[in-house]
Amino acid sequence: MTGPTGVGIGWRPEIAGFVADLPGLRFVEVVAESLAPARALPAGLAQLRERGVTVVPHGVRLSLGGAEPVDPARVAHLAAVAELVDAPLVSEHIAFVRAGGMEAGHLLPLPRSRAAVDAVCANVARAQAELPVPIALEPIAALFDWPDDELDEAQFLTEILDRTGALLLLDVANVYANARNRGTDPRDLLDRLPLERIGYVHVAGGAEHAGFYHDTHTDPMPPAVLDLVGELCARRRPPALLLERDGDYPPAPALRAELDALAAAADFPVVT
Amino acid sequence: MNVLGASGDTWGIPGPIFLRIWLAVAAAAVVVVLHRVRLLAGPREVGGEPLGPDQAAYLNGGAPLAINAALGGLRGSGAIGVGGSRRLKATGPLPAGATPLGQAIHHAAVRRARVRDLRQDHWVVTVLNQLREGLEQRGLLLSAEQQSAARRGALAMIVLILIGVVRAVVGLANGRATAYLILSLVALFLAFLYLGRVPNQTRAGRRVVRELRRQHAHLTPSASPSYSTYGATSAAMGVALFGTASLWALDPGFAEQAEIQRQAISDSGGWSSGSSGGSDGGGSSCGGGSSCGGGGGCGGGGGCGG
Repeated sequence: MTGPTGVGIGWRPEIAGFVADLPGLRFVEVVAESLAPARALPAGLAQLRERGVTVVPHGVRLSLGGAEPVDPARVAHLAAVAELVDAPLVSEHIAFVRAGGMEAGHLLPLPRSRAAVDAVCANVARAQAELPVPIALEPIAALFDWPDDELDEAQFLTEILDRTGALLLLDVANVYANARNRGTDPRDLLDRLPLERIGYVHVAGGAEHAGFYHDTHTDPMPPAVLDLVGELCARRRPPALLLERDGDYPPAPALRAELDALAAAADFPVVT
Repeated sequence: MNVLGASGDTWGIPGPIFLRIWLAVAAAAVVVVLHRVRLLAGPREVGGEPLGPDQAAYLNGGAPLAINAALGGLRGSGAIGVGGSRRLKATGPLPAGATPLGQAIHHAAVRRARVRDLRQDHWVVTVLNQLREGLEQRGLLLSAEQQSAARRGALAMIVLILIGVVRAVVGLANGRATAYLILSLVALFLAFLYLGRVPNQTRAGRRVVRELRRQHAHLTPSASPSYSTYGATSAAMGVALFGTASLWALDPGFAEQAEIQRQAISDSGGWSSGSSGGSDGGGSSCGGGSSCGGGGGCGGGGGCGG
């Protein structure tokens, strides 16, 4: 099973028929929590697997950034899903979704402190011990920074990646959103991250509300995000780019145009 | 028991002789019906063009579903809407890829027809008849003659069952041995349940619908298909294969205003061929397989609705 390569798209039941009709597609991502290992794969995903398309399970509920240890049942589920789709790797977020028994229902950012690095690394190690394949870690978009940050984003991520040996799942739209909402240059982060550790890259659309850029996954991909993909590829081209679209799905030609734009920006084969 | 016409025999016919005659006639009836059902299987290989949404909908749910599927296609491309007093209206030009039924309904919408009036619209009726004839010619739907032929065989089975039941009741009342007759009755009744229901689709037709559902599994309503991505033809096909639940998912406001019954089609089953031009009341009473499915609940020799 090869790692993800080229341009891919997030597999969602709502657009399964569109994804199935992409002739050059070699890689999709599926939300791990949407699959049940005890049941058969959804027909659309099973057909992609038969075509040899790589399927990467993407967890959203593991809460690797939580102060408490990760839930072994959730890790076991992610591991079972990885086996089910014969995945080359899985991915999760550097974030917490619950604390003290409360579910946030949302990915929450960690303070960039040494204690947080320790907590994340301990949880990633617990997960790695049970997972059959490598894990890629995705930093999230945050509208705010915690007041007790000791490290900047690049130091924080590099430290976690170095200590866990995990891959990086870089979300270019998040990089853009974070820089834009803080008035910094997104290219600075690209210059300081270990780009050779990237397993694959997320790209998504967003929109501006009340002066903030939101990484909505339900809007078109802005030109600035596409430009940043080009900046990234100019530094070091990642193995794969994945378009995330989670709602307000546009007509098929518009989705195909976004996939084509990604392929062009990274000089990958066209998948449409 | 060995004397013909002994005074104790029911109707003056000894049990074993009655049973033999009854069984022989019943077997003949079963063979005749089996033979007809075999004739009604349709072709082994279905050739020709793949079915479009119009044909798929008519095959799967008759004229009402065909109309609803065409409405879904037109609504999906923004060509129609609902205005005052629940009359359709054209909100855009006829879409380029419109099906024949879509063209007819768009034309009716320009003239502000209501959905329930579409079954009386001359152009719509003409297209519906063409659809049915095309499907009959391809061996996917049974013609009215084929259906009534099959129903006559089922009727013979009912008559036999009634005679047998009366004989068994009389025999029981007189303390005669009726065990074999009752066993045979049960067997014939089971055969009737299996054979007596006359479907609209041939076996080939059901196979085509199953295959289409498999090909278009991504349109199943539980996947919340994104029709904005898939396009109008897929919207029509979603209604055609999975029922008006797809139309409600596509545009609940339109479906409600146009008074379209919500109906999910789960498995293939008989639907009623409402006599064309007759009263139908918006959706076949027995429609969509779900209410009609199971075992012959809707059978009764004469089919349902009609």
